[in-house]
Amino acid sequence: MTGTGYRVTPARVLRSEWHKLWTLRTTWITLLTACVLVLAVGIAMGTTYDGDDSDVDTVVFVLFGTQLSQICFAVLGILVTAGEYATGMIRASLTAVPRRLPVLWAKAAVFTTVAFTLCLVTNVITFLVAQIWLSGSDKELTLTDDGVLGALAGSAAGITLMSLIALGLGALLRSVPGAIGAFVGSILILPEVLTTLPLDGIDTVIRHFPAQAASSLGSIERVEDTVTPGTGLLALALWAAAVLAAAALRLRRQDV
Amino acid sequence: MIRAHGLTKRYGGKRPKTAVDDLTFEVRPGTVTGFLGPNGAGKSTTMRMLLGLDAPTSGRCTIGGRAYDRHSAPLTEVGALLEARSIHPGRSAFHHLLALAHTHGIPRTRVRQVLETTGLTEVAGRRVKGFSLGMGQRLGIAAALLGDPGTLILDEPVNGLDPEGVLWIRNLLKAQAAEGRTVLVSSHLMSEMALTADHLIIVGRGRLLADTTVERFVRDSGTGSVKVVTPAAGRLAELLAGPAVTITSDTPGTLVVQGTDAEHIGRTAAAHAIPLFELTPQAASLEQAFMDLTHDSVEYVTPLEGAAA
Repeated sequence: MTGTGYRVTPARVLRSEWHKLWTLRTTWITLLTACVLVLAVGIAMGTTYDGDDSDVDTVVFVLFGTQLSQICFAVLGILVTAGEYATGMIRASLTAVPRRLPVLWAKAAVFTTVAFTLCLVTNVITFLVAQIWLSGSDKELTLTDDGVLGALAGSAAGITLMSLIALGLGALLRSVPGAIGAFVGSILILPEVLTTLPLDGIDTVIRHFPAQAASSLGSIERVEDTVTPGTGLLALALWAAAVLAAAALRLRRQDV
Repeated sequence: MIRAHGLTKRYGGKRPKTAVDDLTFEVRPGTVTGFLGPNGAGKSTTMRMLLGLDAPTSGRCTIGGRAYDRHSAPLTEVGALLEARSIHPGRSAFHHLLALAHTHGIPRTRVRQVLETTGLTEVAGRRVKGFSLGMGQRLGIAAALLGDPGTLILDEPVNGLDPEGVLWIRNLLKAQAAEGRTVLVSSHLMSEMALTADHLIIVGRGRLLADTTVERFVRDSGTGSVKVVTPAAGRLAELLAGPAVTITSDTPGTLVVQGTDAEHIGRTAAAHAIPLFELTPQAASLEQAFMDLTHDSVEYVTPLEGAAA
């Protein structure tokens, strides 16, 4: 009755979360939708370009679709955590891993790896495909040109970290609609509302908010009114860490 | 072995509701222990506390000598079926079990085994979404058996099962206990527990009402009444009268006799040539005894037997 080498290890919890992610149909649908949207918008931008948008950064230009894929990734992040509360699966998960926190860390790690890899690959492919139509225009660039790979990776990192915040909100609020509302409200809308306030230095503060910090990451040239990519990445990582820490605290303390 | 000591759970802030109130009990291996009480008695909360899902307000509980979350391989120590469904409906039965198995390094072959044991092999690839209540219960039990645990904690396992399923659970629990495992199974049906359990822990409004064996509960609850229909009711009543015997009569010609058995009544009647039209031992009052016990829990502050018996 007692185990034959059976015990819970961090690697095994990771494997379990990896398995959980890929055995749900929603995962495949959401990820596929996200990638197809980015590629489709990229192709649309490439084929319809007539030189009018020459002041827009080339990577930002071909990756306009990431604004849509961001929503997909954020929703998936929320489903990974809050979805378990909605279905009751969390009780099975925590009965298997009663120390609880490894489950949250494993979810975050698996999701981050999958989201970043997929975003990066999609970004690179979309860039290359869009260049088929952009060659000969002022937006002709190759992967090895200065700043291109950095911007493609930066965009992927921005989407990933934003979605990781969503995953953290899902774990913190334990409700899918609640977390989606909080994500849209506090991450996407709140900064817009705050900019209208006549406060000194409010603009500088808002530049460090998640969505604004993320927008500094995905372009070759530095975007106006944003922090440097380094600062943006750090700010975004700290936001994600803070939300995950809050989620960890609630997971540790509260009944499920 | 499951041990709970002074286990208490209160919810809410200003006017707290006590779900479990100073519960102390032990569940020993080798027998099926029924955890019995009406709905809302605190059975599920107690089970969630045993599994570390809810933190007790005070008191403590251990399984195999340790708090649940202190086990390095909890699924091999305790298998649990919770009352609320804890399965993602979008995943197939096989993948649900495999995901749980992965956390402990339990191989696929074991997943297939428990699917076989619970009769789910044919539907293993189907998403749980389409499962009936009974199939969902079977899958929950498959998950409980996954780590071949020494302790089983099952919350209302017969819920939603057809008669065949109920019988299957009954035999499964008895077999598991016979192998020396600790089995704690909750129910709000006395009749079901009388058939399945050897030992009973009865709770009402979060308090311990009784910690006893099924046998003793049946005996103490005075189920030994016998219904007698006879044209000579008055004469028979006189003959049966004794210090330990109570005789009541609702309708003329019908006696309800307590304190002696059908055999004695039959022989007494025969010896005096009294014809009997009916002689029926009444067993139905087991459920009644349980309801009497739990009816107004507050009055029953003292358990039938010592709490730590």
